[in-house]
Amino acid sequence: MTQTQTITIAPVRKTIHVKASAAHAFEVFTAGLDRWWPKDHGIGKTPRKAVHMETRVGGRWYELAEDGTQTDIGRIVTWEPPRRFVMSWDINSQWKPDTTVGSEVEVRFIAEGENATRVELEHRKFEQMGAEGGAKMRSDVNGGWPKLLEIFREKAESA
Amino acid sequence: MSALADPTRRRVFERLKDGPHAVAEIARGLPVSRPAVSQHLKVLKEAGLVADRPEGTRRVYYIDPQGLGALRKWLDQFWDDALAAFQAEAERSAKDTQGRTDER
Repeated sequence: MTQTQTITIAPVRKTIHVKASAAHAFEVFTAGLDRWWPKDHGIGKTPRKAVHMETRVGGRWYELAEDGTQTDIGRIVTWEPPRRFVMSWDINSQWKPDTTVGSEVEVRFIAEGENATRVELEHRKFEQMGAEGGAKMRSDVNGGWPKLLEIFREKAESA
Repeated sequence: MSALADPTRRRVFERLKDGPHAVAEIARGLPVSRPAVSQHLKVLKEAGLVADRPEGTRRVYYIDPQGLGALRKWLDQFWDDALAAFQAEAERSAKDTQGRTDER
């Protein structure tokens, strides 16, 4: 309806190679989400206790705060273990849960050997978050996020 | 602030989708005056959606990819970091499994 929808932003595409079977990689990514998801990153209430994925179509990716508050991050729209899944990313450009906006994340697990899997991630449809969101995000990025990113990087590298 | 909430401003923004334009070109075909277009461009510029640069004797306006893509830029780095953490955990736990039994 709004003309902003005709604006497109290129998807984020990532590929990594994991020394594990596709089934194992899929399992760790989904059911094992809490084992690896960067601890310092959260959308919901803090302190965060856990992050979970309900492994089925319609299942939620949600954060659980220590006080019991649950915050939905997204919802599974396609569920094809161990090959791929697609989830909505129900976070708006102000980093608040919002099911009226919808970018989308697809993760594919491609077996390249018994213990070798190529994992491809695509985060797309950013334009549905609204172009003014991009501008808001810019000020956010210039503000607090770089510091947070440094923390992530330290975590990832020490893992 | 919602820089694109105004329909005319949105049309001004849309005019820049095919590339940089001067104010006069943007105003052509729009039911508003050139000063009004300039005012809309100013708001879009402040919102980080549009940037301008001199081109010869005139000034052209264009969609600022950094403004619109800032979210994308953040998520690009975000997924790099998340996937690195995932890879470490997937491989660590795979090694544990392989150590115990030879799967398949």
